[in-house]
Amino acid sequence: MIHSLFLINNGGDLFLEKHWKSVISRSVCDYFFEAREKAVEPDNVPPVIRTPHHYLINIYREKIFFVSVIQTEVPPLFVIEFLHRVAETFQDYFGECSETTIKDNVVIVYELLEEMLDNGFPLATESNILKELIRPPTILRSVVNTITGSSNVGETLPTGQLSTIPWRRAGVKYTNNEAYFDVVEEIDAILDKSGTTVFAEIQGVIDACVKLSGMPDLTLSFMNPRLLDDVSFHPCVRYKRWESERVISFIPPDGNFQLMSYHISAQNLVAIPVYVKQNISFFETGSSGRLDITVGPKQTMGKTVECLLVTVHMPKVVLSANLNATQGTYNYDPVTKILVWDIGKLNPQKLPNLKGSLSLQSGAPKPEENPSLNIDLKIQQLAISGLKVNRLDMYGEKYKPFKGVKYVTKAGKFQVRT
Amino acid sequence: MPYFGSEETVKELKRALSNPHVQADRLRYKNYITKVIRYMTQGLDVSALFMDMVKASATVDIVQKKLVYLYMCTYASDKPDLALLAINTLRKDCADPNPMVRGLALRNMCNFRMPGMPEYIEQPIVAGLRDKASYVRRVAVLGCAKMHSLQPNTDIDGSIVNELYALLRDPDPVVVVNCLRALEEILKDEGGVVINKPIAHHLLNRMKDLDSWAQSEVLTFLLRYRPRSDDELFDILSLLDAFLQSAHAHVAVATLRLFLHLASAHPAVQADALLRTSAPLLATCGAASRELRFAGLCHVQQVMRSQPGLFATHYKRFFCGYSEPSYIKFRKMEILVELVNDENVALVLEELRSYCTDVSPELAQAAIAAIGRIARTYSEKCLDILTGLLALKQDHITSAVTQTFRDLVWFCPQSTAAVCQTVEACVDNPQDSEGKQALLWLLGEHGEQISSAPYVMEGYIDGLKTELSSAVKMELLSASVKMFLCRPAETQDMLGRLLHYCIEEESDMCVRDRALLYYRLLQRGVEETRKVVTGPKSDPSMSVLTGRQEEPISLWASTFNTLGPLSGWDLCLQTAVISASEPSGSAENELLPGSTDVALSSPNDTQEEISLSLGPPLSHETFEKMWLDLEILHRQTLGFPRPKTASDTLQAALQLVKIQTLAFTPGDAVPWKAYLYTRGTGTLILAELLQEVPEAPDSEGSLVVSVKQHPKNQQTIRGFVLILKSVLQTLNVDPL
Repeated sequence: MIHSLFLINNGGDLFLEKHWKSVISRSVCDYFFEAREKAVEPDNVPPVIRTPHHYLINIYREKIFFVSVIQTEVPPLFVIEFLHRVAETFQDYFGECSETTIKDNVVIVYELLEEMLDNGFPLATESNILKELIRPPTILRSVVNTITGSSNVGETLPTGQLSTIPWRRAGVKYTNNEAYFDVVEEIDAILDKSGTTVFAEIQGVIDACVKLSGMPDLTLSFMNPRLLDDVSFHPCVRYKRWESERVISFIPPDGNFQLMSYHISAQNLVAIPVYVKQNISFFETGSSGRLDITVGPKQTMGKTVECLLVTVHMPKVVLSANLNATQGTYNYDPVTKILVWDIGKLNPQKLPNLKGSLSLQSGAPKPEENPSLNIDLKIQQLAISGLKVNRLDMYGEKYKPFKGVKYVTKAGKFQVRT
Repeated sequence: MPYFGSEETVKELKRALSNPHVQADRLRYKNYITKVIRYMTQGLDVSALFMDMVKASATVDIVQKKLVYLYMCTYASDKPDLALLAINTLRKDCADPNPMVRGLALRNMCNFRMPGMPEYIEQPIVAGLRDKASYVRRVAVLGCAKMHSLQPNTDIDGSIVNELYALLRDPDPVVVVNCLRALEEILKDEGGVVINKPIAHHLLNRMKDLDSWAQSEVLTFLLRYRPRSDDELFDILSLLDAFLQSAHAHVAVATLRLFLHLASAHPAVQADALLRTSAPLLATCGAASRELRFAGLCHVQQVMRSQPGLFATHYKRFFCGYSEPSYIKFRKMEILVELVNDENVALVLEELRSYCTDVSPELAQAAIAAIGRIARTYSEKCLDILTGLLALKQDHITSAVTQTFRDLVWFCPQSTAAVCQTVEACVDNPQDSEGKQALLWLLGEHGEQISSAPYVMEGYIDGLKTELSSAVKMELLSASVKMFLCRPAETQDMLGRLLHYCIEEESDMCVRDRALLYYRLLQRGVEETRKVVTGPKSDPSMSVLTGRQEEPISLWASTFNTLGPLSGWDLCLQTAVISASEPSGSAENELLPGSTDVALSSPNDTQEEISLSLGPPLSHETFEKMWLDLEILHRQTLGFPRPKTASDTLQAALQLVKIQTLAFTPGDAVPWKAYLYTRGTGTLILAELLQEVPEAPDSEGSLVVSVKQHPKNQQTIRGFVLILKSVLQTLNVDPL
């Protein structure tokens, strides 16, 4: 299925290759480089490239291209999701998925790739099981390993592979039994010049960290389950019960996992937490322009907006910016033409404002396109959709677990047009 | 990658690895081995260290073993005689008490790509199939497939195949799926693994135990199974129901494909499945990963071919974000064009308008073309926008708008007056050759409605010496002649100059010949010229005016969830299939007079023995059904590769000898396949042409033809194969 995998960095250096069937010469990547050249920006390389004898399916993550070589017909989503899983596993193991960490941990990378695919077919991809086969590197362990010479390979086979529930190993034991759930919502929105919503939706996930002994059977219920119109669950969730009773009933995997993800696209339900008043204009003469941005709270349900960050992609002719921020700091990078204004906490009494002049390349015509603003923000203790967990019950085990739910709202692709 | 001083490095490593002091110190020894692997991954040739590395494999340290195995797998094919030395260690490891070591050794032994391997690995694999640890069984099952691929031409070992079929009942779900994968590879020549009723139901019942990758693959395998009765069909569908909403997009889409395939006789069920999957599909279109988003969009596009209304209310989901890659933006625009209706047209147009000023000229042009497509239905609003864009005075925008105008006038003539007015008012002329051609065409075709037309054209004629593109010159010639016919007084002089220049000074033959043609035509008289040049045109409203028809689901269901639509050859496949299924293929013959001559000359003699006829066209479904029901009566290797001609040439040539092409793999895809049918002496003949992946990379494979017939008549088959062979040979000898 997946014949070979090449990792290529942003500069076009092939720094890792792995073959599962016969060895395919690196020259197959020339087709990729050709497409890379044509795309100019690394973002724009098409995910599927057809060559006379193969297909190249690639994903671009953290400035690395994961290029897989395919020889037979396969479902494309399958390969794309698998490549992302590989990248996520690296991230999980090494803390970040970058060229340096991969090169530093090349041995573990090969071990992982070997276990994740055999003969080109996915084998073990659950992080729980992989971590039992190959222990992730930690600073402490690498020190210990250097001293004692022991390895980071599990000596025994993961038991999870043999239990009747493939996602949970048998005989889990904890002294503190705890279950935490994070409800994380991201707002994807496009606002137009006047502030009206062109498009808005919420992408939510519930991440769980469950450390419970034995085989607990959990039931999670919501105050307002009707809000969720488009959900998908971790394989452990009993879908039939969700359909009939709108509760989430499951035997959890051990450790961290994503319990469910959902979308809310009904526009009236998507609250927009901030408004932006902006005026960016360029003068016909004098090669200069003016910029004035104010951010204020809109529908925040009484919570504070934190980590507020405004990013503006300026037109190419803008050379520098001379601005004055009432709160936070700003930074204009003349190479990438990106203006970043880091505001921090939003104070409703004194609205943050960024004002000043822009200087343009002299003699250049007034730019046609207006820059658009990207907003980043975070609101703690609030799920912007209003979703609330009602209660969590546990069956099958005797002890009393410690339970907790945390809510956080973030901006996803949140864009204001000018 | 040649490294400076690489020989030095290898020598140094060799010295270190063979140093007894290093060997005694486990840590230092392992560090050197890690170093070797690191150099190997950087592309340095460290194969000279093979002997030393083989020695290092005798260790209890699993990581060191893994590293050495990795090294050996990479270089085994270069040093087969040395690799044999390592096999003993590996075979010993296959009997280790630790299942992990057993599995590891077995897997790596199977990965040695060198001749002579099968005799060493067969016994450990067979033992591995019966191992009590599922980890080892998983490895052993795939090992069977690897062993088979090492000796591709030998007979299939029946006992192993039987054992694999038995292991389909294994308690470990991964073993089950690996069995399917292995059988599929081993039995490739016989059509892959057989899915009969017990196996299909067994797999369906195990579905919920499998991981998502395995689910997706099993769903693909189940496409081969045909339920016997409607009751069984609905049982299967209700078992699969939950997977339509799977958290993994690839599982949801694979399930949908299976639904569409199984329920092909129940359109209501298909429609319901599409409706239920629309939510996961839309979710994929909004996924965090841009590649997933792209794949989601491609699938949405396919679904929309049959159900354009399904996503109409969600049109805002297809608005482009600022930072999205261009391949996503292109797809989204294509989808937006299809989603336009009376309610959302204003918003969609407003959105598309904002894309027209995008930094990337390609995107801007695509957005303008998209507005042009919408203009075929909502011309007034779109014309306003397009006119507004001209005021921006950007070269690439002006050019794209002019081209859009040209297409618009062609497809909906009622907008001609408005377009002419705009063109007249526009002062800026396009600068690139595509735009110039479009403008010239508009001037020539509708010169009588644009008062300034002759003056604009004169500007082009005066600048002829600096014009580089011959296509523009050709267009200029045609446009001038057309203009001369409607406004002779203003044009005569410049047409004379133009013809003089093109005939006397032009170096491009095509332009010169075109000029000569017009010159001679004009010599015959103006009326004669008018008859020829402004003769009746084809009817443009034929296909496009009404917008796209809703296509039956079966047209695209076979390519759903495959690579085709993502790499962009879905459309050419589609047209190929359509033209093949249309009975009126004669138009193609007229278009390709060259190929018909060649094809005709040789098969004449054979045609006397047997007469083929086309008869009523076969639908895809009927063909597929008959193909599955009938047995292969005749199989023959033709001994030459497939013709390298264009696919439509091949089609036309076959049609000439009354063989209808039903479908074929487009372009250079490997393996290449074509399905043909014809009728002769009262029987229906179905045939498949197949070109496998060539054994050696440089050599061409050979075509294999398989024939099925109903009712049987051996003589007709022989005649048919002779005709087919001669046609293909002719095409091969003289590629057109």
